Amino acid sequence: MIRRSHTAVVERNVRWAEAFATEPYEAAWASEAVVFVRTLEPGTLRAKAAARVQISPDGVRWVDEGTTVPLRAEPGVTFGRVRHFGGWLRLVGDLGPGEVLTVIVYLVLKE
Amino acid sequence: MRSRRPQRSPRAAGAPVVAPDPRLSRFSPLSRILFFDDFDNGYNGWSGHIGNYEGSLDTMLPAFADLRPPMLSTIPMWDTGSVGALDGTYALKLATRPAAGSLAVAIKRLTWRYAGPIQIEYIFTFKPEASALELLETQVRTFGFAFDLQVGDRAAPPLERVMPHLRYLNALEGRRRETWQFKRVVEPLHDIGGSGKTRSHVHLAPTGWEDVPDGRQQLCYNEIATKHNWYYVKIGFDLGSMAFTAFRCNDREFDPAGIAPMRFPAMPNLSCMLNPFVWVEADAGTRAFLYLDSVVLSADVDA
Repeated sequence: MIRRSHTAVVERNVRWAEAFATEPYEAAWASEAVVFVRTLEPGTLRAKAAARVQISPDGVRWVDEGTTVPLRAEPGVTFGRVRHFGGWLRLVGDLGPGEVLTVIVYLVLKE
Repeated sequence: MRSRRPQRSPRAAGAPVVAPDPRLSRFSPLSRILFFDDFDNGYNGWSGHIGNYEGSLDTMLPAFADLRPPMLSTIPMWDTGSVGALDGTYALKLATRPAAGSLAVAIKRLTWRYAGPIQIEYIFTFKPEASALELLETQVRTFGFAFDLQVGDRAAPPLERVMPHLRYLNALEGRRRETWQFKRVVEPLHDIGGSGKTRSHVHLAPTGWEDVPDGRQQLCYNEIATKHNWYYVKIGFDLGSMAFTAFRCNDREFDPAGIAPMRFPAMPNLSCMLNPFVWVEADAGTRAFLYLDSVVLSADVDA
């Protein structure tokens, strides 16, 4: 049996500024995930800006998982790998004053 | 030569087609099952929905820009853990953003072979996110079941696209409504981009909905936000006459003569389209959830 997988688009053409969080996504069936962040158009960003992967027992209360995903101001793709995350995933971060980023965010999930 | 006209199943009324399989015997399919989706086995082709665009995502109608996608859920609750599906572990889940009017949509896209009767059955439940220790019974505005259909390119004119829509208006602006509604009003069609190839209309807009005759129905919402009961809905539609033939939810059978679909001129590139889709809509600042345990699409055809 080949392993099941699924690509979920959890944000699409969204403009991040200040604090951001993707919507909670359930993926308890998956044992691994790659979080891709694609910058769609040139943005404004400090060096070494990053988003944090969070996990949750109930989809309401969240805690940092430890994985970070670099963010880039120019169009392109960055990613972070996650394993053993339980049932829920989301991506959060804080952009500084004047910082803005337009992105599409994928969760690529696999059994 | 075999007739191409649809034929009724010869089985006796009420005789189960699939009695030996307990997962299927809870359904009442027509003679030919086109798909049986149990979400323990994956998404089964139920994907997120998106508005049409051309050249840039910014050309999308705003109402279609952020329809939230499906996921596979064990229906985990903070107080009692996973609810699970009716059988097995996973249900297909739709979740809105925590904002009034936010929509989540799942759609499956196929095409039809015979312009005859089809029927779709869902085992489903709905609930808001249990983010407060309250009943939250007015946080879900609507959930609904629909088809997006088009006739074949050789059909007798006028060629039509037809969209049967049924929704359960659970609450509106904080007040319980608990009423089934349908929509035959066609929202304005907008050209997308500049090529003339793509149009779009907000068929899920809050305007134009009419009550199903005698359509008020209380469901088993239960007594706290973390308790879920499964429901059954059945919708029959005839691809020949493009009219409803059946609508049932649990113990209530509604008169299909009292409900009608949206009908408007056919569009390019959609010949024989058969797209079932489902949605859920939030009424307030709490996420609204719709769960599907399983779905059966069936047809009465001489294939």
